[in-house]
Amino acid sequence: MTDDDPTCRIGGRAATRSEAIEAAAAVLRDSVCPLILCAEIDVAGTEAAVALARALGGIVDHVQSPAALRDLGVMRDAGWIVTSPLQARARADLVLLVGPGLDAAWPDLAERLALDAPPPLAAAGARRVLRLCPGAGARDGAQDEDTIRSTPAELPGLLATLRALVAGRRVTPAAPERAALAAWAEALRAARYGVVVWSAATLDALAIEMLCGLIDALNETTRFAGLPLAPGGGAAAAMQAAGWEAGFPLPVGFGRFHPEHDPLRLGADRLIGSGEADAVLWIGTDPGSAAAPHLEDAALIALVPEAEVQAASGAAVAIAIGRPGIDHDAVQWRAELGALAPVVASARSAAPSVAEILRALARAAAPAAEAVSC
Amino acid sequence: MLTRLAGGHVIDPAHGTDAVGDLWFEDGHIIADPGADPGAGIGSDRTPDVTFDATGCVVMAGGVDIHSHIAGANVNTSRLLLPDQRGADGGFDSAPDAAAIGRLYAQMGFTTVVEPAIPPHVALQAQRELAAIPYIDKAILAVLGNGDYELGLLRDGEGTAALANFAGRMLAGARALGVKVINPGGAAAFRENVRSFGLDDEVPSYGVSSRAIFTAMQQAVVALGVPHPVHLHCNNLGMPGNVETALATIEAAGDLRLHLAHLQFYAYGKEGPRGFSSAALRLVEALATRPNVTADVGQVMFGQTVTVSCDTLRQFNARGQAHPRKSVIMDGEGNGGGIVPYRYSRRSFFNAVQWAAGLELFLLAPDPWRMFFTTDHPNGAPFTAYPDLFALLMDRDLRAQWIETVPKEAMSVCTLPSIAREYTLVEIATMTRAAAARLLGLADRGHLGPAARADIAVYRPQADRAAMFRHASMVFKDGRLIVRDGIALPEARAARGRALAVQAPYDAAIDRHLGDWYERVYGVSHAAFDVPDFAVGLADPFEAVPCQP
Repeated sequence: MTDDDPTCRIGGRAATRSEAIEAAAAVLRDSVCPLILCAEIDVAGTEAAVALARALGGIVDHVQSPAALRDLGVMRDAGWIVTSPLQARARADLVLLVGPGLDAAWPDLAERLALDAPPPLAAAGARRVLRLCPGAGARDGAQDEDTIRSTPAELPGLLATLRALVAGRRVTPAAPERAALAAWAEALRAARYGVVVWSAATLDALAIEMLCGLIDALNETTRFAGLPLAPGGGAAAAMQAAGWEAGFPLPVGFGRFHPEHDPLRLGADRLIGSGEADAVLWIGTDPGSAAAPHLEDAALIALVPEAEVQAASGAAVAIAIGRPGIDHDAVQWRAELGALAPVVASARSAAPSVAEILRALARAAAPAAEAVSC
Repeated sequence: MLTRLAGGHVIDPAHGTDAVGDLWFEDGHIIADPGADPGAGIGSDRTPDVTFDATGCVVMAGGVDIHSHIAGANVNTSRLLLPDQRGADGGFDSAPDAAAIGRLYAQMGFTTVVEPAIPPHVALQAQRELAAIPYIDKAILAVLGNGDYELGLLRDGEGTAALANFAGRMLAGARALGVKVINPGGAAAFRENVRSFGLDDEVPSYGVSSRAIFTAMQQAVVALGVPHPVHLHCNNLGMPGNVETALATIEAAGDLRLHLAHLQFYAYGKEGPRGFSSAALRLVEALATRPNVTADVGQVMFGQTVTVSCDTLRQFNARGQAHPRKSVIMDGEGNGGGIVPYRYSRRSFFNAVQWAAGLELFLLAPDPWRMFFTTDHPNGAPFTAYPDLFALLMDRDLRAQWIETVPKEAMSVCTLPSIAREYTLVEIATMTRAAAARLLGLADRGHLGPAARADIAVYRPQADRAAMFRHASMVFKDGRLIVRDGIALPEARAARGRALAVQAPYDAAIDRHLGDWYERVYGVSHAAFDVPDFAVGLADPFEAVPCQP
C-alpha cells in the first residue's frame, strides 16, 4: 500500500491518503468545536490526539471514559488501595469477584489470576474465590457458600451489609443473605492478602465506593487491595497518556488554550447530543457500531482499519489506519501485567498508525501550532 | 557551528574556574579557546559563527538534578488524583505535565534531571513520560530490594555475584542509570501486614533484614561497576527520633559508597516540648567522618504539594495526614507506590522544624561536594521552589525574615537562627553541577572543560536571587539555545533530550532463572517488562553510560 493507493474515501468516493488528509484538515479548520473521539487507541495515538486537540482548540475523549471515570471518580474523591494482577495471582489467598461482566472485561481473568491454583507466594496454601452478583440475573442459578447472586441494583445494599459486618456493626433489618454475608465477613477478615476484583463497565460509582470503603476497613487489621479491571478500547492507556501530556485524564479540552478537564461539559455524549461538536474525528473501528455516537449534523471524519473504510458510509472523510499491536508496534495497557507494555505487531503491514495520521492532520489543519507543539 | 559565549563570569568548580572570560563550543561540545590553543597559536584565524554576549552575567554548566520525581506510574497517578491542583504554570502545586516539566526546568538552567524511583515493572511508562519531556536529558533509577525474587536470593545466601547479575539484568531491561533501594524490605513486609519496619527488622517470609538488603545491594553495585552508588531511601521516614536510623545506616554502609536520599526527612530528634526536634547537626557530624557517604537534602518549603513515594508502608501510615483527605496506595512487585497530598504550613510547628532541619543540613555541611541540592520534588516542595531555596541559602537576612514568620517554639529546637553562613555562587555551582554530575558518573556534564557537553546556563545577577535563578538569561543544551531572557524557546521544543542508561553487564543465564521464576509465580515473561527503543517513541532515545569495573 502506498500513499497513492485509493485506500481512503471522501464523501463516499475513493481517494488517496493525502487527498483524504487534506479534506479532513479542511473540515477541522472549519470546525468551531472539533471533538476527537477514540474507540481504539494506543499511547502514541493518544499523545498525537492530545497534540492535535491542543493545536485545534478541540477536545479529546474516549468512548470508555464514562466507565474509566467511575473508577477515577472514586479514587479522586476518597482515594483507594489497589494492587497489581501479578500480586493478586502470586499472593492472594482470598479473591472476591464482584459484579457481572468480569469475564467480558477480561476474558483471561481466571487463567491469568490462576484462580483455581494456590498462590505461590502465600504462606498459607489454599486460595478461596468468592463471587458476589456474578450474573445480571436475580437470585436464580446455583447458590453455594462461595457465591451470592443478586441484581446489580441490589449490590450496593449487599456491600453495605458486608462492610458493616466486617466493621463488627449490628445490621438491621437482616437481609436475606445476612448469614452468608456474615460468614464472608469472617473469611475476609481472616484472609492474609485479599483482593477484590471489579469492572467499572458494569458497576456504578456507589458500588465502587462501597468496595473501596470495604477494602479500607479490612486494612485496619489485615492486607486487602482492589484490582479494578481496565476498560477496553485502550482507554486505560489513553487515560495515562493524557495524564502526562495534558495533566488530566480524558476528556480534556483546549477551547480556552490551556488544558481543561470537565467530564460534564466536555464529555463526548453531551458534546454530540447537544450538537455543540460540529466535527467529530472518530478513531477506531466501525463508527456505525452501538458504541459510536449518533451524529445529527456534525461532520464525521472516520479513522478506521482499511477493511472498514468502505463501510464508514456516513463519514465525510474516511482514512485507513493500521491497528495498534497488529499492523504496527505499539505501547498498550496489558491487563495481565497491569502496566503499559510494548506490543510487537502480530501481522505487520504498511498501514499508517493513528499517530502518523493525526500528526499529518495537525500539519495540514494547524501548521503554525504544529510547528511548536510537543 | 563555532559559538563564542563572550565576557561572562564563568564559574566552573570542577576546574577551579571563577573568573570573567569567554567560553567556546562547537558541534554540541565545549572546546578550548581557539585563540589560546598552542597548536593554533595566538591570533588563530578561527572566528565564531555566532557570538552571544554574556557580559555581566554568571555562566555555569547546565544544572544536574539527582533526585526529582518527574515521571512514572506514581507521578502520573498524582496527576489523576489531584485535578484540582493545577496552577497557572501547569501544575505548580503537584505534578506538572511533561511539557511543563521540561520548560520550567530549562528556564531555571537545569539540563539533566534524574527520576529516582521507578520499579522495573513500570519502567516503560516512565521512559515514555521522560521522552515526552522537552529540552532536557533525563534518567531513571531502578528500584530494587523489595522484590520476591531478590529477597529469595538473599534468603538462600546466593551471594554478591548472583545479586549483581540480577541487578544488571534489571538495569538493562529498565534502561536505568543506577539502583535505588527504598525502605529495604519495608514494602515486602507491608504486603505481609507488617506496619513498621526498622533497620534490623526482617521480612517475615524471608528472614532478611533491611540492613542485609541494602548492604548486599551496595556490594552488587560495586561488583557491576555502576558509577552511581546505591541510592538509599532509609527506613522510618518522617518519624520523630529517626536520626538514630540514619546514623545506624551510615555506620552500616561500612567503607562502600552510599547515597542517602532526602536526608532532611531523617534529621529528627525527640527533644523539646513536643518531642520533635532537628537533629541535623548529628547527621552532619557523622557524614564528616564518612567520606564514602553522600546525601541530598530533600528541603521542605511551605505550601501545597503531593508526596509521591515507593515507600508504600510509610505512605499507608501517612494517610491520616493527607490534605486534601484522599490518597492512593498501590501494592506492586518490588515496591509499588503511595500518593498522599500534603500541605506544609508555615504555622505548623512540625513543618517549621522540617524546614529548618533541611536548611541546617545545607548550611552546616562543610562540603558541597557531598551534600546535594534537592527538595525531593514534589515531596518536600515542587522543583519550582528551587529559586527561592537558592535565595535562602545565599542570604542570611532573607532567612531571618522567614524565621520571623514561623513558630518561635520550632526555632527553639534547632540551630538555624544562629547560622550565619551564606552560600557562594561557587558552592551553588558545585552542589548543583559539578558534584551532581560526578556522583552520577557523567563525565561529560556538570563542568565547562573541553569535551564537556555544551549544556550551559547563563544567569543575570540581580538583587532578587530567586528571580535570577528562576529565569536564566540564556540556556544552551548540546550547544543549542533553548532559553532566552527566561523563556524557553518554542522552536527548540522539538528537542526532547535523551535518557541516560548505564551499560551494566550480566550473565545471560539470569534470563533462564528469571524466566522460570516469573512463569511459575506470575505466569508471564520477565522480558515483557523490558523497554525496547521502539516503545519509547523517539528516534535514538537512550545515551549509554559506561560502567567502571
